[in-house]
Amino acid sequence: MSENSTAETKSGLSRRRLVKGLGATLGVTAFGAALSPLFGGPKVSADELMQRHYKELSPEDKKKVLERLQAEAKKSYGADVEIGDHRPTPNTKFVYAINLSICNGNGNCVEACHRENNHDRASKESYIRVLEMPKGTMDMEKGSTTYTGTVPAKDKFYLPVQCQQCDEPPCVDVCPVQATWKEQDGIVVVDYNWCIGCRYCMAACPYHARRFNWQKPDVPTLEINKKQSYLSNRIRPQGVVEKCHFCLHRTREGRLPACLEACPTGARVFGNILAPKSNIRWILENKRVYVLKEELGTKPSFFYFFDK
Amino acid sequence: MSDMLAPDDSPKPAEATHWDSYPRFLMRAISAATDGSFLFYAWMTGLTAVFLVGVNAWAHQVTSGMIHTHMTDHVSWGLYIANFTFMVGVAAGGVMMVIPAYLYKDKRMQDVVIIGELLAIAAIVACLMFVVADLGRPDRGWHMLPGLGRFNFPISMLTWDVLVLNGYLLLNLHVVGYLLYTRFLGKKPNPKWYKPFILISIVWAISIHTVTAFLYSGLGGRPFWNSALLAPRFLTSAFVSGPAFILLTMVVLKRFGKVNVPEGPMNTLVKIIRVTILINLLMIISELFTEFYAGGAHTSSARYLFFGHGEANALVPWIWTAIIFNVVAALVFLKPQLVQNTRLLVVACVLAFTGMWIEKGMGLIVPGFVPSTLHEYVEYVPSHLEWRVAAGVIAFGLLVYSAGIKIAIPILRGEMRFRQPAEKAATD
Amino acid sequence: MARAERSISCDWLRLPVALVVLLMGLPLTGCEQDTEVLVAPAPPPPGTATGVRILPVPGVPRIEAGPPDVHGARATVACSTCHSMKEPVASQRSGATLASFHQGLEVSHASLTCLSCHNEKNYDTLRLADGRSIAYEQVQELCAQCHGTQARNYEHGAHGGMSGYWDTTRGEQVRNQCTHCHDPHDPKFPHMRPKFKARDRFLVPMNTGSAGAKGEVARSGEGR
Repeated sequence: MSENSTAETKSGLSRRRLVKGLGATLGVTAFGAALSPLFGGPKVSADELMQRHYKELSPEDKKKVLERLQAEAKKSYGADVEIGDHRPTPNTKFVYAINLSICNGNGNCVEACHRENNHDRASKESYIRVLEMPKGTMDMEKGSTTYTGTVPAKDKFYLPVQCQQCDEPPCVDVCPVQATWKEQDGIVVVDYNWCIGCRYCMAACPYHARRFNWQKPDVPTLEINKKQSYLSNRIRPQGVVEKCHFCLHRTREGRLPACLEACPTGARVFGNILAPKSNIRWILENKRVYVLKEELGTKPSFFYFFDK
Repeated sequence: MSDMLAPDDSPKPAEATHWDSYPRFLMRAISAATDGSFLFYAWMTGLTAVFLVGVNAWAHQVTSGMIHTHMTDHVSWGLYIANFTFMVGVAAGGVMMVIPAYLYKDKRMQDVVIIGELLAIAAIVACLMFVVADLGRPDRGWHMLPGLGRFNFPISMLTWDVLVLNGYLLLNLHVVGYLLYTRFLGKKPNPKWYKPFILISIVWAISIHTVTAFLYSGLGGRPFWNSALLAPRFLTSAFVSGPAFILLTMVVLKRFGKVNVPEGPMNTLVKIIRVTILINLLMIISELFTEFYAGGAHTSSARYLFFGHGEANALVPWIWTAIIFNVVAALVFLKPQLVQNTRLLVVACVLAFTGMWIEKGMGLIVPGFVPSTLHEYVEYVPSHLEWRVAAGVIAFGLLVYSAGIKIAIPILRGEMRFRQPAEKAATD
Repeated sequence: MARAERSISCDWLRLPVALVVLLMGLPLTGCEQDTEVLVAPAPPPPGTATGVRILPVPGVPRIEAGPPDVHGARATVACSTCHSMKEPVASQRSGATLASFHQGLEVSHASLTCLSCHNEKNYDTLRLADGRSIAYEQVQELCAQCHGTQARNYEHGAHGGMSGYWDTTRGEQVRNQCTHCHDPHDPKFPHMRPKFKARDRFLVPMNTGSAGAKGEVARSGEGR
């Protein structure tokens, strides 16, 4: 094993060196060749690579970033999008509630979310999943998201689940780089340009609220919702996590979220819990509401109730 | 292959300055790591080839997205994180030989301890590579660097894991590097420069696996992982897989490297496994008892893992293989004088190691996601690309390990010295 | 509110952890306060519609009297044209049994009779339970007599579709009313067929084809 240690002739040594040198050169070349797909793929610009965390961007930085993102969208998707930066409104805390007595599982909300938020078309992704549940149980294990046929089916009720915008969000705690955080109006957001794609938050979320961009989202140019915001529905980069953001590009302007507008039954109630006269406040004061998986201590800002 | 690049933190008086001897040490190390028999070259070339295949697969994954893996929004971690978890165990287990060697001053153990530490280094390198392979955006890795990025410490357990794993890597690099370097110089190592680090590394070895277990057991939304027993289970399984791998290494060295491996340390390792493999089985039984006797909603993952759910039963063969391997290995390890029966020892070690690999890998990570938090049963079977990447990472780990051993053995034997034969007598 | 709670929950961690952090020389970034000063939204530009607008419902209905004429104009008559001359039948519950007009009208609305809602004194109006007449446009008031829960929910935005603004000081909220979605003669909300199913990734054929590729989903059996 250690035949090299003493008795090697000068020529043997140099031949060995030569072979080693050749081997090393070959190895390095092969390594470069193996890595070559990296250089053929989509380029990550220096500006994108060096971009700071959202909270560290000055107004001028933000302006530049938004302009860059708009240019990128034009280049990759051929659409003239308008990416804003919607900030929370003071004295606002958003809360959502769903009246399970009238939700009939038609899934319009699921589709509205898909379109509003520029989701990948191939996977028909959406932030909302609707469970068809047999009456008489609250056990989600008994539910089904793949129900078909006309709704409502006999002896079934429907439970739409999306991000619960928890006050104690486990997903925020686990993020190693603070790429996701809870904003002052209660919305848990993701900086898609800071997320490293470790998917720990997906493991931590008890409500299956988070989605990963397994590839570059595919959205036809004509179907792109051009009204976008940095922290919400702009087309996400490949390899990052995203989630429901209560349509903050709408709700922070005072508008209703897309899923609510799409609901034909009016099962969805959305509003500012800090406004004493708000609809949502009335629901919480007058209905016996419950939250999903209360025992986990996540304190959702998303409530459910029945009235019959 | 230059994993011996230990931080040069050994400033002690010497005749020749370290400026002369340390580069020489590195050069000789590199030379030793790349010299050897035909078999050794074949082994290293083979590993390099597998590694390159893995690199290429990873490059594809980074470029066109993780769509080429079979992970989904439901099972969002797969083969990579499964292997990562297992490798942390191997790394922690590798250092367990340190306890008898230094705590109980077992002289014969002190030489073979290096093997354990080299294993720890190689396993940690593989761990870190698995984590990087799992990232959707490896180009943003710098977001984790304190100062430059935003490191969510101490709230995120993942940041703890990053710290303890890197710390463990540095500790072991230092200890191994220092011990080998002083041997290379033909000096007696100064306890001041390695003893405290060895003691820290023992505690640290436990911490890396505990923290890794906390990654999972801290998630309230995943009942399969949310168990207080997870960290102890991780530890006991680590004390099986680490020593089992070292035993295998020793057998290989004996057979192919013509290295005289003393029987004492091997016996000690067999004894460690004999106990820990039984404790691990006991813990599995305890977990299963609580899951299945009380029943309830939280058992769905365990039910899926062991018995499947309708047509969804991808993990059933895996876990039963693991259970059978573990039980058989546990029985074989009960045999006295197992060390003398090399063939049986190899079988037992391979069974134990593979059993733990399944149980701590696929058998632990994947069922945590099945059923999903909304109770959907979406199955996961790794894709070809994932297997290629994983094989590449493991091959690289083995490369590091083999090179390390190739360097360590001539130094420990006194064949590789700064001043050749003159100081040979000074060893020991 | 949420912010405050979060920082409290982190406080207990700070003391023991501070030491560790100091040792490691790392900034304690985990519990950082959100110090951003929020700016109140600008009032809407003058002329912007605000408040709640309830979409109107058609007024007094007209009844088809025959096929359209050559120009396509519908031949309709007002209710009172006939009903001012006819004697009301208090027990009438369905159009199907009538000899003329309304024959196609199936009524499925609890045990109501026609005259529970239609005003026998003036067929161009509706009739509340206490005998008062109300205009067709105020039909919600009629519905609310029995459907108190729904009416209260409606009043608080928890029933019936809407669009526009949640914050009605910044824009207009547009709302349906009962008869937009519920046929007063057969008020049960129609069955629907979900036309869009999110499938995330799990039903998508995998790109890399391997024999064991699993993408299928198996659902919980209901019989458990």
